[in-house]
Amino acid sequence: MSAFAVQARKYRRQFSGMTAYFIQRTTGLVLLVYLFLHVHTIRELAGGPAAFNAALARFHSPLFKLLEIALFGTVILHALNGVRITLLDLGAAQGSQRRLFWALAIGLGGVIFLAGAIPLFLNAVLRS
Amino acid sequence: MAVPQGEETYRIRIARSAANGIGRGVQEFEVALEDRMTVLDALFRIQREQDASLSFRCACRVGMCGTCAMSVDGVPRLACKTGVRTLDARTVHIAPLPNLPVVKDLVISLEPFFDQWKRVQPKFRPRDPNSTELARIPETSAHARNTPGKRDCITCGACFAACGVKSTSGEYLGPAAINKAYLRLMDPRDTAVDARLAVLDDERAGVWRCHTQFNCTAVCPKSISLTDSIARLKRAMLFPRFEKL
Repeated sequence: MSAFAVQARKYRRQFSGMTAYFIQRTTGLVLLVYLFLHVHTIRELAGGPAAFNAALARFHSPLFKLLEIALFGTVILHALNGVRITLLDLGAAQGSQRRLFWALAIGLGGVIFLAGAIPLFLNAVLRS
Repeated sequence: MAVPQGEETYRIRIARSAANGIGRGVQEFEVALEDRMTVLDALFRIQREQDASLSFRCACRVGMCGTCAMSVDGVPRLACKTGVRTLDARTVHIAPLPNLPVVKDLVISLEPFFDQWKRVQPKFRPRDPNSTELARIPETSAHARNTPGKRDCITCGACFAACGVKSTSGEYLGPAAINKAYLRLMDPRDTAVDARLAVLDDERAGVWRCHTQFNCTAVCPKSISLTDSIARLKRAMLFPRFEKL
């Protein structure tokens, strides 16, 4: 087995809690950056409707639509992993935290992501 | 050199250091091993046949004492309980346990580990120190229900080495010390409750530093659910009516 495969297996099985922690921190930072961008755009309202519309027009490009889909995935991962951590802190499923991460955050999160990302991609990216 | 029948050649890469832990880099050895042999067997073979100056520690060789804990392929493990075949690779990376000062080669000092251990007052403090009466612990008590499996700590330091928080905070008690405190707090005969809770509630050293990474639980050679002990203590401090100590 290659060194990469050994490491991948390690973080998929034995250290999945650490993988979940890393994902939670990374998605948290991404959402923090998004929050600043969001507030910065909303701030354009102070300049009147024309200024706000001009600011929003920047987000209509296919690139921003793709980033929107990525943001959707980030929110889902962060939220579902947050639910997992809350359950663990409340004493539920301590023994099955690994399964909870892969089934809830990744499994269910993946299904929700696909359910939202596919229509978004078809309508917003391909038709723009 | 021909490899004896039934044995296979493994490449063992060991992080070496001189006395006082001064790094000397990684040294590679080729060793013929049987599949059922352990990492500790490999180290003995290297020491006996290739480099007598290689330093490592061991005692019981059956996973009872915790002396031979070291980093094998980046994971803290007991060398005596880690079969080379289970590693799924012909190259094995061995290093001293992280988060602890290196004395020489694979020998680390457990002093920081036991410094934290002592802070939680690990000694049993009964109401009557002279009592010889046997304790009766009802099967239905919280002590009997919540502590089995948590009493098996062999103080190997693997959890301390794997803890992501410990790697950035010298003040953090670490999972083993917190588990020890949990066991004492669960014991209805013990009296040092307030003193232990004061240490566990400390902002920089106590249970609140744990980020639920589960690294300690993942590497514990005795399969102790250390993260569970920490979570129980957090709940007991936040919601004493629901989580009893």
